[in-house]
Amino acid sequence: MIELQAAVSGALNGSLFALMALGLSLAWGFLKVINLAHFAMILTAGYLTFELATSTGLSPIATIVATVPLMFVVGALIQLGYERFGVSELNSLLISYGLLIITVQVVTNIWTADFQRLPTEINPYASESVAVGSLRFPMPTLLAAGFAVILVVTSALVLERTYAGRALQAFGQDREIASAFGIDHRLLGVLLAGAAGASAAIAGMLFPIGGTLTPDLPFEWIGQVFAIVILGGIGNVTGTLYAGLLVGAISGLVAVIWTPSTSPFVVFSLVVLALVFRPKGLFPQKGG
Amino acid sequence: MRQKGWLALVGIAVALVALPAVRHATEFPMFYLIFLSGILFWAAQSTSWNILSGYSGYFSFGQGAFFGVGVYAMAILFGRQGMSWWVAALAAGLASMLLGLAIGTIAFRLRSLRGEIFALLTLAIPFILASLARLSKAIDGGQGIVIPVPEAPSFLSQFQEFVFVVSGLVALFALSVAYVMQRTRYGWALFSIRDDEDVAEGLGVPTFFHKMIAIGITGLIAGISGAVAALQLGFVSVEGTFNLDVPLFVIVMSVLGGRGHWAGPMVGAVYVYTLQNRLASGGFEGWSLIVLGAILVLVMLLAPQGLMAGFRRRPWLSAGIFIVVFLGLWLLGIMSDPVTALALALGVTAIIAFIPGGEKRRMSPPVGAGEPPEHHAPVGDEMADVMAEARRPLLVAEDVVKTFGGVRALRGVSMTVHVGELVGLVGPNGSGKTTLVNLISGAFPPTSGNISLDGTGIVGYRPHRVAHLGIARTYQIPRPFTSLTVRDNVAMAIMFGRDPLGLDASRRAATEYLDLVGLAGRADAFPGEINLHQRQLLEMARAIATRPSLLLLDEALAGLNPVEIDNAVEVVRRIRRSGVSIVLVEHLLRVVNQLATRIVVLDQGLELAEGEPAVVMRDPAVIKAYLGRQADATGD
Repeated sequence: MIELQAAVSGALNGSLFALMALGLSLAWGFLKVINLAHFAMILTAGYLTFELATSTGLSPIATIVATVPLMFVVGALIQLGYERFGVSELNSLLISYGLLIITVQVVTNIWTADFQRLPTEINPYASESVAVGSLRFPMPTLLAAGFAVILVVTSALVLERTYAGRALQAFGQDREIASAFGIDHRLLGVLLAGAAGASAAIAGMLFPIGGTLTPDLPFEWIGQVFAIVILGGIGNVTGTLYAGLLVGAISGLVAVIWTPSTSPFVVFSLVVLALVFRPKGLFPQKGG
Repeated sequence: MRQKGWLALVGIAVALVALPAVRHATEFPMFYLIFLSGILFWAAQSTSWNILSGYSGYFSFGQGAFFGVGVYAMAILFGRQGMSWWVAALAAGLASMLLGLAIGTIAFRLRSLRGEIFALLTLAIPFILASLARLSKAIDGGQGIVIPVPEAPSFLSQFQEFVFVVSGLVALFALSVAYVMQRTRYGWALFSIRDDEDVAEGLGVPTFFHKMIAIGITGLIAGISGAVAALQLGFVSVEGTFNLDVPLFVIVMSVLGGRGHWAGPMVGAVYVYTLQNRLASGGFEGWSLIVLGAILVLVMLLAPQGLMAGFRRRPWLSAGIFIVVFLGLWLLGIMSDPVTALALALGVTAIIAFIPGGEKRRMSPPVGAGEPPEHHAPVGDEMADVMAEARRPLLVAEDVVKTFGGVRALRGVSMTVHVGELVGLVGPNGSGKTTLVNLISGAFPPTSGNISLDGTGIVGYRPHRVAHLGIARTYQIPRPFTSLTVRDNVAMAIMFGRDPLGLDASRRAATEYLDLVGLAGRADAFPGEINLHQRQLLEMARAIATRPSLLLLDEALAGLNPVEIDNAVEVVRRIRRSGVSIVLVEHLLRVVNQLATRIVVLDQGLELAEGEPAVVMRDPAVIKAYLGRQADATGD
């Protein structure tokens, strides 16, 4: 029973990682940009949520009114910069690494390197939980899972059903041909990067709800999030969600079967194996 | 160039030996020795990183893993087991090299593993090692390990002097290796991998082997250097070892200094370490990572070649300004602190480096008129010999099938090329011509069927082995190594060809192949500076420089104007006269009719017709499938 609880809780945690991976995966697949600055946006959004909620007394969820538009603009501006300088895939990794380092240090300088936690009167979710049969789920992970599912399903629908989504798919497959058919790749790319930024804002909002903030969180996320991006298939949004749930469940199980400290080791080892044997992801898309 | 490089290395060595002695004489503060030891440590680490990531382009975020293995090997073997410190340092280097080779064995064997995925893979490795070290009592167990002060040789009276000398030796070793690699085939193989790995493999470069050498050396140097750092630290912990400082610093240092040159990472190490030192002493610790990140972003966007490229454009001006500013500020007493004077001098010199223009330096120095070596002597008109050999089958493809997913690109094609023949391979778009070329050159294996050259089966051989057996190819869209000159592109093929020569001999020998295609006049240009026709001629020169018995020309005349086509046809004739059999994939029937001794027509993955050009071109099935109605079947 404890194993089941661990696996399901792990999967729910994994969905939060899938939410972080979503924007990265879209930008990598469709814009050919590996944007480590995505983690910088999540971190910044997390701290802004913390700051806004504590200073105004608003519910942390309500802060997305401010953080989502802000991160949309930030994401779009970064993409404009990549476009302007014609940054290649590998170079985007390096440049955004620089942006991430800068952000982490700026956040440290403003909010210090100490743990920051929302007071319980502002963040009632932290102590709530929902019981399903004999299983108990903390409210923050349920919220994370809910947002992750909503965003993934929305993105999948937008990609499948709308003109912009199909244009993006065409662009991801062959930039030159797509441009020749009149697809305005700059506008689309900037919009997509903005949307990825907006998703970063939502992911960022979930961290102070669920626990504490420290400036070096991004370095704890990077490995697992990229694992999910690659396992899910680069640019494959539903694959990202499945991979997040899978990695989360495995990590939760390992933590109860052995010890919590073995779980990153096992997860990373599995990821390395998967990278080596399934570099195109665990869930190949139709026709791909 | 050669002398300058050695001069620099010897200069560093002399300074190394002399400095502790000078310190005794002048009694300058120990702080400067510690400062210089820091620079030497980072010079070794960033040079180590650059051999893999700068030279070959396989970008690594995992430098911390190699460093960390070195640190812990020293901590365990010397700190805990009491082994002698230098044995422990060598063992640390070996352990780290083994880690590199293990990573390489997994990562480099897979051809689908792209550079970006490799980069992310290396991001995860330090985390795995860190959790392993934290868990295992045999390694660390989360407690950290204390390392005693080693017994230094008696002529070094102080521990810091000892650390300085040992760090210097490691840095010198790293720089020498990087320097020698840049001057030899080991470095050039990596440059070609960075520019275009498939082409490199096709020209005969054993890319897996060279990538393994690179990652092994990177591990070796980083491990030894990490071991020495552990001695200096005196106490190691998981958090202090596997953190992000090492990968971040080596990346920023190498990018700032310049990744294409052996001295680039060292230059970057001097800059970054001095800057960090001044920021810390000025009370700006909180700004140090912001400055590092900003350097990384700005240099990548605005001057990705790095400082070294700028210094090499104006070597004397840069050196002169640096010395004048540094000595001026220091000796005239304007700056009492030499490190601040150094920082300012470095800053002023960097401005010079980033001003564009100046003398343009080529990778390749002018080549003397040396005699081409005997076995690369120009091949004359050997048609008589060739004719005697005629009808001997050279390439035999039997019932070759290739499917991609559900698409059957080739559905059972058999083809023979005899010695001395020039076979025209024609067919509509999508008929499987290029697929066949890719299969013959070993780019990927056929789904079924057999291909042999001179009786040797080549199915399953890596492209470089196929190249060494005597098959060369050109690409429809020319794929030159863009960072090498025209001459060096050809030299590359000779260096890794069937009778490999050294760098200088290859450069000399390259001239004859450039003569053969009529490109000798542009030998010192970069591929970006020549036109499409010339790039296609370069493709041919590079291919025949591997001294093939069979040359596959994949639409080598596409996109040329009529005059250029006539010139290219003449070049192909000359290549054939030199004794090379040719398969010519071509759309232009006029060209095929002029050149080919025989034509093979493919249609929808099957052979439609085969025979003499005039006969095949009248075949109604060929006309229907390939030419349509309006075409003139016989060309002109």
